[in-house]
Amino acid sequence: MNNKMVWLVAWHEYSTNVRRPGFIFGTLIFPALGLIGLIVATFFSGQAVNILRNQFTPDTNQKVGVVDATHLYVPIETRFANRFVAFDSEDAAKSALAASQVVAVVIIPADYVQTGAVTIYSRNANFSTAIVADSAAINPFLINGLLKAKVDETTLTRVNRPMNATRLTLDADSKEQKPATNDPRNAFSFVGGIIISYAVALLLFVSIFSSANYLLRSISEEKENRVIEVLISSVSPMELLTGKVLGLGALGLTQMLVWIASAVLLSGGLAAVAVGLAVALSPTTFVLTAIYFVLGYLLYAIIMATAGSLGTSVRESQQIAGLFSFFASIPWMINGFLFTNPNVLIARVLSYFPLTAPVMMMLRLALGQPPIEDIIGSIVVMILTVPIFLWGGAKIFRTSLLMYGKRLSIKEIISVLRNV
Amino acid sequence: MADPVLYVDQLYKSYSSLIAVNKISFEVQRGEIFGLLGPNGAGKTTTIRMLMDIIAPDSGTALVLGHKPGAMRHRVGYLPEERGLYRGLKVRETLVYLGQLKGMSKKDAERKSDEWLTRVDLKDWGKNKIQELSRGMQQKAQLISSVLHDPDLIILDEPFQGLDPINVEAVRSIIRELRDAGKTVVLSAHEMSQVEVLCERIALIHRGQIVLYGNLKEIKKQFAPNAIEIAPPLNLEGWGEVAKAETLDGRQKVYLTESATPRDLLKKIFERGMMLDRFEMATVSLDEIFVKVVKGDSHEQ
Repeated sequence: MNNKMVWLVAWHEYSTNVRRPGFIFGTLIFPALGLIGLIVATFFSGQAVNILRNQFTPDTNQKVGVVDATHLYVPIETRFANRFVAFDSEDAAKSALAASQVVAVVIIPADYVQTGAVTIYSRNANFSTAIVADSAAINPFLINGLLKAKVDETTLTRVNRPMNATRLTLDADSKEQKPATNDPRNAFSFVGGIIISYAVALLLFVSIFSSANYLLRSISEEKENRVIEVLISSVSPMELLTGKVLGLGALGLTQMLVWIASAVLLSGGLAAVAVGLAVALSPTTFVLTAIYFVLGYLLYAIIMATAGSLGTSVRESQQIAGLFSFFASIPWMINGFLFTNPNVLIARVLSYFPLTAPVMMMLRLALGQPPIEDIIGSIVVMILTVPIFLWGGAKIFRTSLLMYGKRLSIKEIISVLRNV
Repeated sequence: MADPVLYVDQLYKSYSSLIAVNKISFEVQRGEIFGLLGPNGAGKTTTIRMLMDIIAPDSGTALVLGHKPGAMRHRVGYLPEERGLYRGLKVRETLVYLGQLKGMSKKDAERKSDEWLTRVDLKDWGKNKIQELSRGMQQKAQLISSVLHDPDLIILDEPFQGLDPINVEAVRSIIRELRDAGKTVVLSAHEMSQVEVLCERIALIHRGQIVLYGNLKEIKKQFAPNAIEIAPPLNLEGWGEVAKAETLDGRQKVYLTESATPRDLLKKIFERGMMLDRFEMATVSLDEIFVKVVKGDSHEQ
């Protein structure tokens, strides 16, 4: 293979497609939307921020009204006075709520101790209500009222905060693997791992439908406009295919870098700090996801290129490619199971199937520590699969490129692959 | 004798039950214009694609410039039958890219592109997109792409397809220039009348097999009828020297009997005081030769 030709094809693909209006629009649309959002937020001088905050966070600066029929909670103790205010009647409390003097009202009936039932009123149905109901503020308040005369302070504190856990995991040899999770750096490492793996899994997914699709369109268009015969009289099909995979892979990478850079700029550098910290604290995860990203892209790029050569038109090629693209979405469909058990059997099986392995493994890495044999095994399977797909893809590519108006049948494809 | 530029021996290619190329053999010598002729579906394009290493033969040998097909891509220029360039790219940009794929440096490709665009009167269209050119202009641009890198061997598959007479003559002129510069040109066409004025040697393909091969003049001589063409047409009824006479477009083709010669006929015409504007040996076209050969082949079968 002549590397000079490969790089020439790669550069040509990159430089012509990066100038396409469709690519420029697709790349800049998300940063543009982010910028518009930032301008809108700035324009309203923090009003939008407050609105968003009020929607999604507890109103910690505003108090909760209490109407207590049990006489356990009034007068409000000093330690809770900054968050709770007592009302004599339900009507008075509701009036205060309507006047926005309180953010919510808790009605504690006389039979609360027996039933546990309380009624909570809030101004509107937003997340604040749920947060008030389940928040760390109201539970200690209620518990304190139930136990204050019955247990000492230490026991009361323990009841409010029953667990200060040390999280350890054991490997297959029953050896400890992780230090205590009460170290905030490890909590961040855990979160960082999720961010990296989920983000990269999503980026791989987007790349499959973005830069690999450019590859499909490139080949399909060259076949439609008949320039393909001139090309393969000058370079071998393998050189052409490899050049296109590299060039259009770089195109997809450019798009992602623009999105990441715009996220960094629009967040005032915060995103960069967060990502940098996540990478520093989860280097293994970062390296593994990078490996899966590269192998996954290569595999799907070859599939897309082959589909591009098989179809009689761009549309038909996209339909053929869609069959394979479906596999990339299967891991997302079972994502919910991974939260409870990242090593569930179906996830392990899909980790060894080349078409689902990259996305599956990145999701598993995000949520836990897959067994080392799964990591090594899936990488080995992919490393072996990529050249096999390249070999088969190049053979089909070479045969089907000059078939105008006709597509290879399954039987013919098998015959082509068998013919050494 | 120098090694042939193209050497083909028992080349064979089939698709399922269809035999596209059936053990053909021929050679093309350096510096000649060689015609690979035949009707549509004869196997010409399949043969050329095997020589260009675009498809692989099932069996047989092909050597291009003394090497296996594909090994000397940068020294071979190719104009495929299925025309096409990047419609959305500019003419010059396309030519430079295709030149670079043939091993040229960018600078050389740009310089030669400008030279050739001027040569074929497309100098003002270099910055236009391919899709903005007329069909004839696009074909000229594609012809440039096949010769830009100064190849030793140029293979042109149906080079006159879709061209008007002016452009046909322009392309013929370029082909002659290439031959005069020492290049070897292989022309493939189904309209044989268009290429027989250029070719020195030919191979005529029919149903995947070569039915005629060799020097064109000698082939024509071999098939030349014992006939003359005269104008204006004369009344030759009952003349013993005349086997048959055909009149068409103010000219008369007179087929002589086996024992008669053109001299005998001319002498008799003068003796009878008939007037003539034209008297020449009748030639036979490649089309006529092809029909004769194929029909003869059919009769044998």
